[in-house]
Amino acid sequence: MGDVLINALRDYRDARGWTQADLAEIVGVSRKTINTVENGIFVPSTVIALKLAAAFGVSVEELFSLEG
Amino acid sequence: MTRSDIETAERLGRKRARMWPVLAFLFVAQQGAYFSIPADDAARAVDHVRVGAWVVLSAVLLLILATGGFWRHSKAVRALLNDEVSRAHRAEAMSLGFIVSMVFALVLYATVGLEAVSVRQAIHIIVSMGIVTALIRFAMLERRALGDG
Repeated sequence: MGDVLINALRDYRDARGWTQADLAEIVGVSRKTINTVENGIFVPSTVIALKLAAAFGVSVEELFSLEG
Repeated sequence: MTRSDIETAERLGRKRARMWPVLAFLFVAQQGAYFSIPADDAARAVDHVRVGAWVVLSAVLLLILATGGFWRHSKAVRALLNDEVSRAHRAEAMSLGFIVSMVFALVLYATVGLEAVSVRQAIHIIVSMGIVTALIRFAMLERRALGDG
């Protein structure tokens, strides 16, 4: 199970001009959570993934995908 | 959950990541006082105080590890401090602490005939190593997550 999760969090965030703290406030998580997910350090739960997708108004699949 | 809660949690989270290794160091430094107690003087009142102090400090550190600390802050701030990432870090840190404790327990068990270690000293070593390992590992993981290390 060497699957690597990649995400487009930074792209969507930058496109909206939001900081990590802005997104954290919208989603209701810590900035650390946003930072670790964005940098691929932490794989978020389904709940956080859904909240992130909802914040950008996109599907989870648009935000997260498996490498390769 | 307000911006203020997020900023407070961020500040406290950084403080926690900085302070826990210091706590671990102080905890280890305190061991010197305990192990300096001569075996034949073990019944002195001051030594009971030292042992009691270690028990209390160990229990407090364990409680801090298990809950994330900062009990006097609001529920929202504590929720942010103990978010998914921190809970995962804590689980990893405590798992490593458990493994280190078990390794020390096995070493002490295997060397019991070679070195004179009392039951109290053995328990002291096993518990201390587990707590120190978990504190340091948690702080390392949090610092990395915060972008500090």
